[in-house]
This record gives sequence, structure tokens and C-alpha cells, in this order.
Amino acid sequence: MRTKQEYLIRYKDGNLYCELADIWIDPSMPVKKALITHAHFDHFTFGCEEYITTKETAILIKERVGDNIKIKTFEYGEEFKINGIKISFHPSGHILGSSQIRFIFAEEKWLISGDFKLQKDETCKQYEILKTDYLISECTFGLPIFKWDETNKIANDISKWITNSPEKTSLLFCYSLGKAQRLLNEISKTNFKGNIYSHGSIHKMNNSYKKLGINIKETIKIENKKKIDELKGSLILLPPSLSKGSYLKNFKNIQTAFASGWMSIRALRKRSGYDKGFAISDHADWDGILKVVKMSEAKNVFFHHGDSEALSKYLVEKESINVLLFGK
Amino acid sequence: MSLKKFSELFGDLDSINSTNNKIEVLKRYFLSNEPIDNSWAIYLLTGKSNKRFISGRYLKNLFSQIYEYPQWLIDTCYLKVGDSAEVITLLLKNKTTSKDKKLSNISLNQLLSKTIPALSKLNEEDKNLEIKNLWETLPEDNHLIFNKILTGTFRVGVSIGLITKSISKLINIDEEIISHRLMGNFEPSIDSYEFLINKNINPKELNSKPFPFLLANTIEDKIFKDSINDFQFEWKYDGIRMQLIKRSGNVSLWTRGQELVNESFPELVEKMSHIKDNFVLDGELLVWNFKEQIAFDFSLLQKRINRKSPTRSIQIKYPIIFIAYDLLEINGRDIREIKLENRRIELEKYFSKWQDKTENNISDIFKICDLIFPKNWPDALTYRKKSRENNTEGLIIKKKTSIYSSGRKKGIWWKYKVDPMQLDAVLIYAKGGSGRRAGLYTDYSFALWKEQELIKFASAYSGLTNIEIKELDKWIRKNTIEKFGPVRSLKPEMVFEISFEKIQISKRHKSGIAVRFPRITRWRKDKKINDADSLENAYELMKKIS
Repeated sequence: MRTKQEYLIRYKDGNLYCELADIWIDPSMPVKKALITHAHFDHFTFGCEEYITTKETAILIKERVGDNIKIKTFEYGEEFKINGIKISFHPSGHILGSSQIRFIFAEEKWLISGDFKLQKDETCKQYEILKTDYLISECTFGLPIFKWDETNKIANDISKWITNSPEKTSLLFCYSLGKAQRLLNEISKTNFKGNIYSHGSIHKMNNSYKKLGINIKETIKIENKKKIDELKGSLILLPPSLSKGSYLKNFKNIQTAFASGWMSIRALRKRSGYDKGFAISDHADWDGILKVVKMSEAKNVFFHHGDSEALSKYLVEKESINVLLFGK
Repeated sequence: MSLKKFSELFGDLDSINSTNNKIEVLKRYFLSNEPIDNSWAIYLLTGKSNKRFISGRYLKNLFSQIYEYPQWLIDTCYLKVGDSAEVITLLLKNKTTSKDKKLSNISLNQLLSKTIPALSKLNEEDKNLEIKNLWETLPEDNHLIFNKILTGTFRVGVSIGLITKSISKLINIDEEIISHRLMGNFEPSIDSYEFLINKNINPKELNSKPFPFLLANTIEDKIFKDSINDFQFEWKYDGIRMQLIKRSGNVSLWTRGQELVNESFPELVEKMSHIKDNFVLDGELLVWNFKEQIAFDFSLLQKRINRKSPTRSIQIKYPIIFIAYDLLEINGRDIREIKLENRRIELEKYFSKWQDKTENNISDIFKICDLIFPKNWPDALTYRKKSRENNTEGLIIKKKTSIYSSGRKKGIWWKYKVDPMQLDAVLIYAKGGSGRRAGLYTDYSFALWKEQELIKFASAYSGLTNIEIKELDKWIRKNTIEKFGPVRSLKPEMVFEISFEKIQISKRHKSGIAVRFPRITRWRKDKKINDADSLENAYELMKKIS
């Protein structure tokens, strides 16, 4: 077995790093050169000299932080070389523009899954199945208790939740980039035909999606001084950061819900403080991760993000797959 | 009507916080389902029974065996979820092939009256096969309910009061009546549901049932501003609160926990049945020291509580008395609406009438409570301090003009305990002891209610007798929900009185309070977990002391 220094990609200062190309993947601190898998803020940090990502991700990042950064963009599947290493982005199905990143060097393939899901989502490209020798996968929901329902079932549950309380204003909390747009897309296919409002941060992302050619249902930007009566029976999308604090005092007679994979567990649902939880996630469930690991035909797998102990043990015991640990 | 509807109801009740909405959801459910299913729903929701058919551990082992799932993986999942029934439900989403099989559209009634009882009669092998079959044929939405009923862990944030309210709204009849109809044993059946929702109130309908009990609140300072003459003062006896009912010649003894305990106290039933009048009395059952005319310690009463058909020698060794403090109904006339002071006059009148009958001497088993007459509030305080001398817990202070309403209505009855540093808590964890107590579960953790949740507030190691420890140890082994190393989490069922020296705010504890020298002072077998104190009670206690 190789020592960790000999791997093409390894952990350095808590981040994925390729020494040969002197490039970082989703670094959490400013570096010279950063590959970015997607535009969520836990994968993007300010102050890098140069960012490399997909066209869509670049636009979303600039929409969120402004134009004053240097980003080089590539199409999905387009190969570029750094110090002899072939690098390319491939769809990961997480949000619009999200990608897996493949490295090929000396006949050896490395694949960084990025955040990914296999479930169908019309607001972004479907996860592309790639074969690799080394797989670095996320493991946010790496326990078999996580098994996502069909998206349309969740959307129908949300629709029912709103229409069953026509006298209330329904506040649905969700991440403003990705989850909100996916929910809007799905909810527009349900029986719920009432007004949908969205918070400024979500509204902005909706517009970006539209500019990138994704068909998103029209929503009304929520103003603080909306009349209470007007909001009765309608749906309002808000970012989770507003769920605790005085913002909710703007509304009367509300019901609240949170859309997140964690909501599949009753105890977490109860502890979250929301009235209701909808278990919908842009990450892969247990089956999804297993499927990707198997279909990649990787002989060596690393996990990062999330608690991977059980999943690793399971793969070693049940599937005889070599799971390696990153020395963080 | 399918089980699915009940699963939906469970989901709704679980996610709604507002009481009014819960009532609406319940009303809707009752309107759209069969009486028999409604009856079972009420049975489950009010926690009338939470029988465990198989343990959570068994369920997890079975799942592991059937689907060749490593036990350690299930255990890891459990740590995240914290409930065996739910873990299995979530894991089943990955495993059941229900899509290919014909799904069974079973009703709540079928499940509870046929399927599950039949299951428990099977031998292990057949039982396992049947559970597997049910997992694979029940629609996915029903798995949680099924697993929860199976493991006796069905609980949802619904109180008996909420059920009472929704039925009351459903048929537009006073809550008191519904509450009365729900008292005592509730056998799930079409009849029991139809009785519950009957719009016509038949005065005889409630013949064997007790009235909803009026409960005392812990005293608040504001009452010291009122005139002492507005109140009736009694000793607070430390026995079993009970209604002694004689209607149509039949005597029944109902505890506050809504249990019929005629069989435990046959001598009382016998004596009272000779009285000509019919009546409902509210009072306290005690083991009585006739020589000194005071109550014996509660521990002696415990010798009688769970013993059915006690022998003559037990009856002599632990002589009981019923001390009546209120008369609620006399010869078919419900007098709960008349003032306490007038009810007291009636009580005294009838008591002297009954005593006069020399051929039927009831004074060795029945009396009415003595009143105390403090001249002013400081005098009342002196009485309270004396209460330990006569083996009472303090004073009960009742508003003379009050009517007998149900529940813990404020401002009617107050309890003024001599030693307020006590709370009734539910046993939730046990840990093995060491040294002399090795091999026995002797370290206990106790919880108080916070809304519908039990929150741990104290651990105690001492206070039980060796015999009680053995008995409890046996119970613990049979009622373990989960094992975490040496610690077992237990089915919340047992209530204990915990005494302590000091109570203060603590940020380090989930409960937000810390108590000093907690110890068990009594095993309250007479209390149900819903009778245990809440954290709110603890905070009130803290306020009072500081």
C-alpha cells in the first residue's frame, strides 16, 4: 500500500489537495488555485487567486458574491490539463452546475464525487456514471435508515400540507440555492395552485436559474409589509437561517416546515422546532452511495463529509471493497 | 377503513402543535371512520393499554436475521434514531418488496383484535414468519404504527383531555359528560364508541363509573390575602385517593388511576353494601392505626394495594379505613353543583344516619374526615407543621363556595404540603449496582414531564427496601426497551416519589434543574405515569422555596 503522500489526491489541512497539480478541491481557505464542485458556500470560499469550475457554477457564484473574482470555466466533459494531469467536470445531480471532478494521470483514474444525488431533478443535469480506480465520495447520509421517497410523493405531501390548512400561511424552509428551485419545480406539478412567495435570497437564485435556461415557476418576492389576509393559504419559501429569530413575527397564523433529508428521523424532526419535516435531499441516500460505489468499479474508496464509519465497515465486510481512510 | 387512515392521523397529531388543530384532526378522523376503528383509536391514543407483544431487541434481531443485516449496523442506526420501532420502519424502506405483493388493506380493528393477538399465540418460528409476512404485505405507510404497537411504544402527543375535548365538540355535549364516560375501563368495541358519542344523556348510563376527580393545586401565595373563613381545612392524608360508589345496591371502589379495586378491599365493599342509601363518596383509603386514630405509613398500604382477595389475617394485620371528605351523589341525585359547605352538611348528616344503625357498625372501616379550624393564616401554618405528628402530609384547603368540577382547576382546592421537597417522577433508566448490589439494577434515573416528553431530572440509589429492590430488578429486566452497555432504558411505567434537600437552576442538565441528595421515598404503585409531576411543577417548587 502506498503512503498517503504517494496518493494523487490526499487530505491537506482538512481539504482535498492534488500536489502534482498544486490544486485544491473546494478549499475552505484561500489558496492559489481551486477547483469548485458547486456553488454552495460550504464548498466555496473567498480569496483564492483563481477558481476553476463549470459555466453554471461560475454564474451562480458571481450572482452570490459579485463579479470581482477570477474564474475559469469548462463545459461538462471538457478535458483540460494541469502539469500532465487530465481534469474534467461531470454532472453530479446535486444542484445546477454541480459536478464530479475526474483526474487521470499515468493510466490511473481518480473521481471526486462532489455532493451528488441519483434522484431525478429537472433543475439540473442527471448524475453521470463514471468508472474509476479511486473514488472519493461524500457520505452525508451514510446509514441505511436513509432511503428517499419519490420526489413527487414528497411534493404531493407538501401540497396537501398547504391545502389542508387554507386559513394558514405555510412557511417552508429550505436552502435557497438548489433545494428551493427543485421544490418549486416539483410543487408546480401538484394540485397546489395558490400563490408562492419567496424570500429575496431565494428569488435571486430563481432568477439565475431562469437565466441559465431552467424553467422555474414564477414566485412573488416577499415584502415585509404584506397584508396577512393576502398570505392566507399561500406558500412562502424561506432560508433556514430565518427560522429562529424575529423574522417570523412578520406573519400571523402560520405553519412551518423544513425540507431536508434529516427530517426522515422523528427525533430530529421534533427537535428541529418546525411543525413538520419533509425528507427531501439533494444528497444521495444509502442506496445511492452504494450504487455509485459499485458502478464506479472503484477498487479503492475514500469517504469525506459525514460519518462514514458504518458505511466503510459495511463495504469492507459485505462487498469486499477496499475502503481507505484519509489522514486528516 | 384502512390502517392507513390511522397512520395519517398519527402523522398529523405528531406534527401539529396547536391544540385546536389537533382537535380538528381528531374530529375529522372520528367522522370518517368506522365506530370500531374509532374505538381502537381512542384506546391507543389515551394510552389505555400499551402492552408490549415483543421487545425492540427482538424486532431488531428478527430484522437482522430475515434480511441478513449485520446487527452492528442496526445498532449504529439505532443510536441515530433512538427508537427500535422507527429504526426497523426506516430500514424496511430498503428491504420490503411490497411493490410486487398484493398489499393487505387491514383495518385498525383487524390489526388489534385479530392479527396481533393471533401473533402472540404462535410459536417463535411461525411468529417470525408472520411478522415478516406482515412487513411485506402491509403498505409502507403503516409500518411505523405496526412496529410501535408490536413493541408497546405507541405514544403521541395527545392527552385524554384532548380526546375528551374533540368528542365533546363532535357531538356538542359537555366535556364533563364525555370525561365521565371515558372514566374507568374502556373496552374497545362498537358499543363503547357509540356510548361515548351518544347525544342523549341517560342518567343511568354512568352507573358504574366514577366522576372525574377534582384535583388540588400546589398552594400559591395569593390565597393568604383571602379571608381564612372562606376555606375549609382538612388534613392531607397520604393514602389512595378513591371514589366509593354505591349505585343500585352495588359498591365499587375506583382509584384516581381509574382502576376498579373492589377485589383488593373486600371488607370495605362488604360493609358499605349494607347501607341502604345509594351514594358517591370522594375520599382516601388508608391503613389505619385504630388505637391512636392516625394513619399508618404508606408502606403498609402498599401491602394491600396489589394483593387481590387478601386473606382474613392480612385484613387484620393491615386494617383499612375509608375516610370520606366529600359527598358527590346521594340516592341518584348528583350534588356536585352545590357548594362545598352544603355538601359537607349533607355528608355529616348521612354519616350520622349510617352510624346510628347499630346492627351495622361501619365505624371500624369508614369515617368522614375531621375538619380543622385555624383562626388565621399563621395558625394554619402551625397546623401544617404538626401534620407529621399525625402522619399526614400537610393540609388541604378548599374553598367553601366551590362546586365539584373536574381536573386541576385553579383556585378550588389547594394542597399545602409540610415537606414540599418532593416530586413524583417516572423511572426511565436503570444501571447495575456494584459491590453488595452487584447483579441487581439499583441505580435509577427519574424523569419529569415536559409537555409530552419525559425529561431526566435526577438519579437516586437509595430508599427502597431489599425486597422492593428485588421486585423492581425483576420488573426492569422484563421491561427493558434498550441496553446501552450497563444502562437499560425502561418502559415508562413506574412512578416514584423522589425527595431531595435543595432544588436549583442548572444549565448543565437538560431539565434545567439540579436537586441535592435525591432519594426514593416511595414507590407509587398507585400512580400512573400521567400522574407524575412536570418540570413546571419543579420550577414552581423552586420559586416557592426561594
